[in-house]
Amino acid sequence: MMEYSLFLGCTVPVRARNYEISTRRVAEALGIKLVDLDGFVCCGFPIKSVHYDSFLLTAATNLIVAEEKDMDICALCSACTSVLTEVNSLLGRDYELRARVLKDLGIRRKYRFGNSVRIKHFARILYEDVGIDQIRRRIKNDLSQLRITAHYGCHYLKPSGIYDNFDDPEHPRSLDELIEATGATPVDYENKNLCCGASILALDERISLDMANKKLMSANEAEIDAMTLVCPFCSVMYDDNQRSIESRFGKSYDLPILYYPQLLGLGLGIDEKDLGLNMNRVRVNPLLEKLGGRLSHSTRS
Amino acid sequence: MSDVLIVDDEKVVCRSCERILGPDGHDVDSALSGQEALDKIEKKKYNVVITDLKMPGITGMELLEAVKERYQEVDVIMITGYASIDTAVQAMRLGAFDYIPKPFTPDELKAVVVRALERRRLLDEAREKTMRTRVMFEYTMPDELYYLPEHAWAKVEKDGTVRAGMDDVFQKSVGDIVQIRLPSTGDQVEQGGLFVEIQDSSRRTHKLWSPVSGKVIQTNDDLLEDTTLVNREPYGAGWMIRVAPSNLENDLKNLMYGEALIKWWLNREIIEKKEDRYLQVSALDPKFKYEIAEEPGGEGIKYCFACGVCSASCPVREIDEAYNPRKIIRMALLGMRQEVLQSDFIWLCSTCYTCAERCPQGVGFTDVINAIKNIAAREGHIHPALKMQAELLEKQGTLYEIEDFDNRKREKMGLPKIHTDKTRISDIFKTTGFKQLLEKKDNDGV
Repeated sequence: MMEYSLFLGCTVPVRARNYEISTRRVAEALGIKLVDLDGFVCCGFPIKSVHYDSFLLTAATNLIVAEEKDMDICALCSACTSVLTEVNSLLGRDYELRARVLKDLGIRRKYRFGNSVRIKHFARILYEDVGIDQIRRRIKNDLSQLRITAHYGCHYLKPSGIYDNFDDPEHPRSLDELIEATGATPVDYENKNLCCGASILALDERISLDMANKKLMSANEAEIDAMTLVCPFCSVMYDDNQRSIESRFGKSYDLPILYYPQLLGLGLGIDEKDLGLNMNRVRVNPLLEKLGGRLSHSTRS
Repeated sequence: MSDVLIVDDEKVVCRSCERILGPDGHDVDSALSGQEALDKIEKKKYNVVITDLKMPGITGMELLEAVKERYQEVDVIMITGYASIDTAVQAMRLGAFDYIPKPFTPDELKAVVVRALERRRLLDEAREKTMRTRVMFEYTMPDELYYLPEHAWAKVEKDGTVRAGMDDVFQKSVGDIVQIRLPSTGDQVEQGGLFVEIQDSSRRTHKLWSPVSGKVIQTNDDLLEDTTLVNREPYGAGWMIRVAPSNLENDLKNLMYGEALIKWWLNREIIEKKEDRYLQVSALDPKFKYEIAEEPGGEGIKYCFACGVCSASCPVREIDEAYNPRKIIRMALLGMRQEVLQSDFIWLCSTCYTCAERCPQGVGFTDVINAIKNIAAREGHIHPALKMQAELLEKQGTLYEIEDFDNRKREKMGLPKIHTDKTRISDIFKTTGFKQLLEKKDNDGV
């Protein structure tokens, strides 16, 4: 059985419980053991641009928690994956920096970082460790009527150098293949690689929402049933803020936004309620109706 | 055509000017005092103000200063008596467009007004063109020359004589020149007095005032054959006269030179709100790029050759040109340290890494901009939103606090409870000194 420590980060446990619950249920169904460890803190992404030393130590704290238990990390947020992978690699190869970080953390024991612990995004675990064929074999429900676009976001694939080029950042395919594995049809669209703008939402809402609107516009033109994504930040933009965007730009999208585990869960036959679909801001009923079901939607808790 | 205000304490002068300019389509008003002129200027937008130098109450010079301070786009022409040529020259240093000595002919008055309007039109056109195409309309001012600004230049030769000619601003506002009347060898010229008359293609005559006093020892006869030399090379082959100066030391004090000239020009440009076109070299910090290169992730700045792929790829720049990666890196390389560190735009990077992936030089701009932001933060310029996030982390160990209420919800969903160690990150911030930095007021006192 595959086993990973589950790194939730700051956003998932509070703003993306639908992502968390669907991930756990899918992992269970596919034989992936996700272990909750005490001691994880913020990954450090919010402070990387203002205090690099603090960022290093914060990220390193998480890597130490995982290495203590001799466990690789499965992360759900792309930004968390990116910074933990970056710091893991850096501390793994820079002996002096590693020594300084451990000293600043008040730790005497030597940790190996990049030479022992691996960090992987849950979607990448599905893609590489579980594999497309295995997923395809486990699908129980027919999703062939669904047209789904993939939003890769930025930190899932970039900077490509830290991810050993498991997918092409300019012409990515991994999420499209994962969509296809569920039986749904992956659909290409303009602005597929566009950033969601979440990183600057608090700094310049106007620019951020404009970026998100561009993506929604392009995805909508592709006549799809839903967009699927793998990062809670991206979901904040496209799901949580979809109504604000519609109002600001005079648009009407009504586009369901699914985390990939939610889509996969539907295919695996996991109950809709166990996938947290009632917590998605934009109603997913049109999509479920296409599949012959309907969720009694309650306001997001 | 334009709105003109005549200011003179003699009614007859005002009426004469109205009769000269009115038939050409100018809308002419008059004022009998400096104060009346200021009152009128406050109510109506004039293109040109023509004022006598000597008036009771507010003098012509005082009126000039008041207009230039508050109404930068109004051109002021001084009417002077012979005895006040010196003052008139000084008035040009203060921003007067030109002066007309009394007595003047109708054509002389018309010519100078038309030249003022033409210059203004060229500047407005250039400004619009700059905004549309970012092509700069250049005025050249070789730095070894002395200037009666936007009028004439003088160059002190090694043998002590002075070569003089037309400034290219004057030349551009006159346009094509069909005839040039130079003084003759042996003639005396005086600073501020007439030394050359120019006829433009509309047959208007323009007068050029001499920048220096002395005896004309040579004239540029090539100009008589080919007037276009002045258009093409106003500071070179288009020179006009050579003079044995009679009062050089004093004359040069009335002219502008070197840094004083640049400051005069900049002051005017700043007044006309074009300061973003200029860079003061002495204010640049050549070590800034090395400072960035020393920061983690900043070393790539050394490899940039400004190809612009980063800017072309940037999704933020596509929405708002304020965030332009290539421009930021150029500013950093030039040494515009304070402008970069104190800017709002450095915080607009969405960290999408598209620029970094596509950069042919491997600059890694996303990490370079992070390096710049780290330096800015150390100097107290942290974006308030990021400061708030850091403070939340310091206080509660996570961006979103997980309280009992949240854990009960999680339990209901079958999710495990989460307990955050609230002190861990705070301890880290204390160790690294980030806590002290957050507690300091930023440079705006926040």
